Amino acid sequence: MTARSLQSGAPAGERAATTPSLWARIWHNDAPGYLFLLPWLIGFLGLTIGPMITSFYLSFTDFDLLTSPDWVGANNYIRMFSNDPKFWASMRVTMFFVVFSVPLKLAFALAVAMLLNRGIRGLPLYRALFYLPSLLGASVAIAILWRQIFASDGLINKLLAMVGIMGPSWISNPKTSLWTLIILSIWQFGSPMIIFLAGLRQIPQDMYEAASLDGASKWRQFVKITLPLLTPVVFFNAIIQTIEAFKSFTPAFIISGGTGNPINSTLFYTLYLYQEAFGFFRMGYASALAWVLLALVSVFTAFSFLTSKYWVHYDE
Amino acid sequence: MSDASARLTVVTGAVSPTRKRITTILVHVALLAASICMLYPLLWLLAASFRPENEIFTSASIIPSSWSLDSYIRGWNGLRTGFGTFYLNSFIISGLSVIGNVMACSMAAYAFARLEFRGKNFWFAMMLMTLMLPYQVTLIPQYVLFRQLGWVNTFLPLVVPKFLAADGFFIFLMVQFFRGLPKELDEAAQMDGCSPWRIYWKIILPLSTPVLATAAIFTFIWTWDDFFGPLIYLSEMKSYTVMLGLRTFTDSTGESDFGGLFAMSVLSLVPIFLFFLFFQRMLIEGIATTGMKR
Amino acid sequence: MTIRIDRRQFLMGSTAMVAAGAAGVMPAWAQSDSLRLLFWGGQARADRTYGVTDLYTKANGTAVEGEFLAWNDYWPKLATQTAGGNAPDVVQMDYRYIVEYAKRNAIAPLDEFVGGALKLDSFDADQLEGGKVDGKLYGISLGANSVAMIYNVAAFEEAGVAPLTNAWTYDDLMAVGEAFKAANIRGGMKAIMDGSYSEPMLQNWLRQKGKDLYTADGKLAFEEADAVEWYTMWAKFREAGYCVSAEDQALDTGPLETTMLVLGKAAMIPSNSNQLVAFQTLMQDKLGMNGFPRVAAGVGGGHYRKPSMFFSLGGTSANKEKAAEFLNFFISDPEAAKILGVERGIPCLPATREVVAPTLDEQSQVALNFVSNLGDLLGPLPPPPPASAGEIDASLIRTLGQEVGFGAKTPEQAGAELISGANDILSRA
Repeated sequence: MTARSLQSGAPAGERAATTPSLWARIWHNDAPGYLFLLPWLIGFLGLTIGPMITSFYLSFTDFDLLTSPDWVGANNYIRMFSNDPKFWASMRVTMFFVVFSVPLKLAFALAVAMLLNRGIRGLPLYRALFYLPSLLGASVAIAILWRQIFASDGLINKLLAMVGIMGPSWISNPKTSLWTLIILSIWQFGSPMIIFLAGLRQIPQDMYEAASLDGASKWRQFVKITLPLLTPVVFFNAIIQTIEAFKSFTPAFIISGGTGNPINSTLFYTLYLYQEAFGFFRMGYASALAWVLLALVSVFTAFSFLTSKYWVHYDE
Repeated sequence: MSDASARLTVVTGAVSPTRKRITTILVHVALLAASICMLYPLLWLLAASFRPENEIFTSASIIPSSWSLDSYIRGWNGLRTGFGTFYLNSFIISGLSVIGNVMACSMAAYAFARLEFRGKNFWFAMMLMTLMLPYQVTLIPQYVLFRQLGWVNTFLPLVVPKFLAADGFFIFLMVQFFRGLPKELDEAAQMDGCSPWRIYWKIILPLSTPVLATAAIFTFIWTWDDFFGPLIYLSEMKSYTVMLGLRTFTDSTGESDFGGLFAMSVLSLVPIFLFFLFFQRMLIEGIATTGMKR
Repeated sequence: MTIRIDRRQFLMGSTAMVAAGAAGVMPAWAQSDSLRLLFWGGQARADRTYGVTDLYTKANGTAVEGEFLAWNDYWPKLATQTAGGNAPDVVQMDYRYIVEYAKRNAIAPLDEFVGGALKLDSFDADQLEGGKVDGKLYGISLGANSVAMIYNVAAFEEAGVAPLTNAWTYDDLMAVGEAFKAANIRGGMKAIMDGSYSEPMLQNWLRQKGKDLYTADGKLAFEEADAVEWYTMWAKFREAGYCVSAEDQALDTGPLETTMLVLGKAAMIPSNSNQLVAFQTLMQDKLGMNGFPRVAAGVGGGHYRKPSMFFSLGGTSANKEKAAEFLNFFISDPEAAKILGVERGIPCLPATREVVAPTLDEQSQVALNFVSNLGDLLGPLPPPPPASAGEIDASLIRTLGQEVGFGAKTPEQAGAELISGANDILSRA
């Protein structure tokens, strides 16, 4: 899946030709890998794959949480695509969220990480301060905080009033409510920032020193050294943040009280899924929704991995 | 820090001292301004935790009319079990999760990043797939599984998966960092007859302090903040975690204790903030180590 | 029973290998004599409930492990435990979900214990009826309540509006709206929240017109014309500034602290009689309570005494007899009654009511008096709502009211959509 391993389809087999017995070959070539992978394999086969397969099966049933599921064939999937406006509405909301929150959050995280990586005084303090919002996680308090800021008489409008602008009630207006969730997502930019910082730490300083002696400008150093060497981390953050954004549930859940309102403008895909599963007792349908999301996200991810060999640079 | 400042001098050596100073001041001003914007909501939370109960939603100003510690006292003792127990539970779960996650995920990541074996791409794709399915739909089958194992109402469903590297996020993260380490290191070690285990233990791990520290920080904080797992699997108040305790302060249909919620929310941030402060030093230690690698 | 075992076997299927190896390593709960109780609520309710469980343990020696959660966390947990065959012995049930759980045998009928462990001879008939599904008793009402208009007494005084009486009508509502507009207190406080997407208010209005939300066989009991009239009336109120703007109203996401009353944007909100106390803890202004407005002077019958919540027996409980004994203690023991007060609603046994009445604080007294003296406002108990009533409320009534408010739909469109959408959901379930 990674760029390199995609290129080398079956390297183990080719090299194996030189070693004598089958078991020795397996031991030499495959055993170390599998031994290191063992904890994960046990967890995957023992704890993860079973429930996943079960949920896939349930997506073809009418499972209602409380009684035994009945097979309904592809009905759930057919209904979703032919007769469910809420499916499309929630898909639109999620797409919009992904398209705007992911790039903005990553750009913000990278910019702050770059700024903090200058070796300025008080770096640990700033880093901690910028990470603080992410500590709050999904706390109930966030819902209340966000209303304090984005309601009609909230902080933003008080600031706007100083310059004579009457702002709307951002959080409860269907035109702007999704943006307050995008801002929430950007506000909690701590994790990608930390990962960027860790990545920046790995770039050998002597490369900058050499470039600096050659008279390369700061911008040139960024483009020629920082960005290329940071691509594995950028790639990681982009993939992970996109997957997370597609699955995003908590912000809308706490801020809209699980309703997705006003007028379903914050009805995220997984929020809709959750409502169907636990609010309206349609776990079968919810499972189908989940697997459609998985299909969509894996297409995106596979595409990213395929293109990654053109722009992600590993030190190999 | 001295190491970092020394580096700065080298990098910006060509620039005049005055200009450098002005730039530094500007950066600080920008960072401070940004911090205040970022932190306003948290300051509000802090202020709210000292407010009298019926003023929380009706008062607009950020400074409370009177300061009171009532919310803290009531909040700490309010739930029958008391927050002391919740803290202990959270520490046990989060602490074990850090150990499990860092060990198991770094092993799996080493296999994916540095070793060749048949089926590698397949397993890697599987690992990524586990990241993509919303947890809401695997919840019930997983609950049934853990119940059959007799693990419900113990910490095991929350901790054991961490020792089995169940969170692909961290494997993927470490894979990306391990692949950034120079390959010549392992090749040289291999020529010296080092086993994969020794390479992993003696070369890869020591060089990866920043990413391991990152993983430790995230695991601790995310486990601490998680409420859905504990909500489903823990059924006695005495095994509740801090996050679960927090959620019982408010009920949308009846009387809530917002003072208690805010006070305990503030307190709940303290351990994770301290954990962050402590481990972020290892993010810095990484510089020295990686600096030597070539 | 067989159905449930089948399901569990099935759910286990894919994970059987692992489970088989490790099953029985550590039993989660040894089959003990203790009872597990799960309820939703806040701190105040928990304190009272634990007071009673302690009392019960002292009196009978049976330990009761009580666990409480917030409303939003309660339902996923109960559903997960039920699906895992691990439901508690006693669960708190809501009027909205009791049909859903009863029809699927997730809670157990209580009839076999009535007269034995459960003594319900003098239990209020309408409250007993409210706990029945298909003729069988599935829930013991923990208290009666009624819808009520909760209003800000201080704001009424400030605006110079006379306090409400139970005789008031929708015309009076408009007069109050006009008065608040003229007084313009507290940065433009409106008379009332936008009631167009309050399901109880719609139901009350329909009942006064001789209709209802649902018929006994689970169909809609009103027509498109009614729905259009409803949305048109509220559009008029909104335009005239009697009720809050759609934008403000959308700040209300359900919890009490987000309501227009607590946010100080409206002086009245339709709510439930047992919530007066909870509202009062969030506000400095004194609050009062009254009936919903009448469609015309002298027209009553919109209100009914609704079971605020039930205790039910978990379908898989191994201690049903013991659990029933606990239920009986919970509703009838005098000491327990004093601890519980009217926090869950007005007790349904006359003897319990008598014990409770003198111990109440002022606001609880108001609630008790209100529910006891509904007079001609009181109508018959409606049939239990169909299983998908909750979905119709959440995804149609609330959303459509909002859509009209924001001008995304006309009252006519919303009315038509309410009927067609509701019929759709009713036929699907």
